[in-house]
Amino acid sequence: MTESVQNVSQPQIEVENLNLWYGEKQALKNISMQIPKNSVTALIGPSGCGKSTFIRCLNRMNDLIKNCRIEGKVSIEGRDIYGQDVDVVELRKEVGMVFQKPNPFPMSIYDNVAYGPRIHGASKKDLDGIVEQALRSAAIWEETSDRLKSPALSLSGGQQQRLCIARTLAVKPRTILFDEPTSALDPISTSRIEDLIMNLKKDYTIVIVTHNMQQAARISDYTGFFLMGELIEFGQTRQIFHNPQEKSTEDYITGRFG
Amino acid sequence: MGLSPKTSEKIAFSLLILATLTVTGFVLIILAYIILNGYGAISIEFLTQMPNRMMTAGGIYPAIVGTIALITGSMLVALPVGIMAAIYLNEYAGESRTTWLIEMAINNLAGTPSVVFGLFGLALFVKYFGFGPSILSASLTLALLILPVIIRATEEALLTVPNEYRESSLALGVSKWQTIRYAVLPAAIPGVVTGSVLSIGRVAGETAPILFTGAVYFLPRMPDSIYSQFMALPYHLFVLSTAGTNVSETRPIQYGTALVLLIIVLGLNLVAVLIRRHYRNKLKI
Repeated sequence: MTESVQNVSQPQIEVENLNLWYGEKQALKNISMQIPKNSVTALIGPSGCGKSTFIRCLNRMNDLIKNCRIEGKVSIEGRDIYGQDVDVVELRKEVGMVFQKPNPFPMSIYDNVAYGPRIHGASKKDLDGIVEQALRSAAIWEETSDRLKSPALSLSGGQQQRLCIARTLAVKPRTILFDEPTSALDPISTSRIEDLIMNLKKDYTIVIVTHNMQQAARISDYTGFFLMGELIEFGQTRQIFHNPQEKSTEDYITGRFG
Repeated sequence: MGLSPKTSEKIAFSLLILATLTVTGFVLIILAYIILNGYGAISIEFLTQMPNRMMTAGGIYPAIVGTIALITGSMLVALPVGIMAAIYLNEYAGESRTTWLIEMAINNLAGTPSVVFGLFGLALFVKYFGFGPSILSASLTLALLILPVIIRATEEALLTVPNEYRESSLALGVSKWQTIRYAVLPAAIPGVVTGSVLSIGRVAGETAPILFTGAVYFLPRMPDSIYSQFMALPYHLFVLSTAGTNVSETRPIQYGTALVLLIIVLGLNLVAVLIRRHYRNKLKI
């Protein structure tokens, strides 16, 4: 653990000794990490290293998986999210998630963005504003403002992913988790989403899983390197990429395996 | 093997197309036969009057009303119960021995001969609950008969809804039930409608279950409540074909009855196709 991270006074997310098992198989081993507010934190590592499993602990999506058992502590904004009194549904309003494959609902563009706020009780007259605001923040308003009633599935893959980001923003989370959000997209769409993520960190704390090391280097402030269920190294991105402390980190970022 | 890929391709293709033509051919022949023979009997009077002169004249109005009452009654019961059961089994129950047993029971129920449902309806609804032979007893019996069809169709439809919809809805802080209500069910509706229509066809056509539970040979007046006995098109058809002695006079009425039954079922199918298309257009591109 590097000093620079521990200097940050109030981490948004604090993970202490997190262990996770799928049945008998241990997928995460004793992970501890502090993720600062209003930053982009990238999690890298080879396939199957546990980075996606880890990010899904932060909004308790792993609850949906049978035989998944978790030990340890995850606090977000100082609250233990695995505590007895935690309402998972409320937690997921505060910790949004964008998935690997763009997955808009088979509804109109407008209804996709309005989906969350509408169910959470936003009034009809507020809805238009919320939708526009979310689409603007996700940098897709220009392309969609004249066709809000068109089906979301008529958008291109990259647009669909930005729409999914808008859908997440509309619920007004404070933390957003991205699980390999550009792995299904072309380079131009990828770079638009990267710009968007860097803009979003003004208002949100962002954690992004990526298999693309260049992407981590381009957009993140902090990087964690996972290997076989362990967090090998965590620190400022500059340091991880230019001066890794661990041999395996260096091997990975220099492309010796992965 | 001796055959070249080209030859075997040709043989397979010919056999497949022959099978398809045979099936469509028979359907068309049956349809044409009923339409040609029944067409002459159809008139406003035929559709709106009581039968008279020992069923050799008059209309089939009470049988039409009876069949529509049965369709409505059984759907009112079977649709909500079937859809809710399917949601529970597919979305909540998970995999366990109990779920497996329930699924097995449903499959067996689907394969049970309809006459057995008739006897069961007689014992339970007519006798035990004391509803008597009535529209109510017959509708409930038919509802049981089609319940497995509706549960199966709904489960199939729910299975085709991609898991990503569920995950992304839950990730927006939407509860499980709200996710089902607002993201999963709308995507499953076309499949549910298809399944329901198949069962409407069965309700309209089944004779055995209603024989024991309230259908009658002849009614001097129209049914006035759900506790009344009733006439129904398939049973009327059976009675006309087997009990009459004046064959030349009842024959056109038989074909007319068959044609009306056919039109009701096809009409409902058409409605279902329209509903399905409406939802498809709303959901997709």
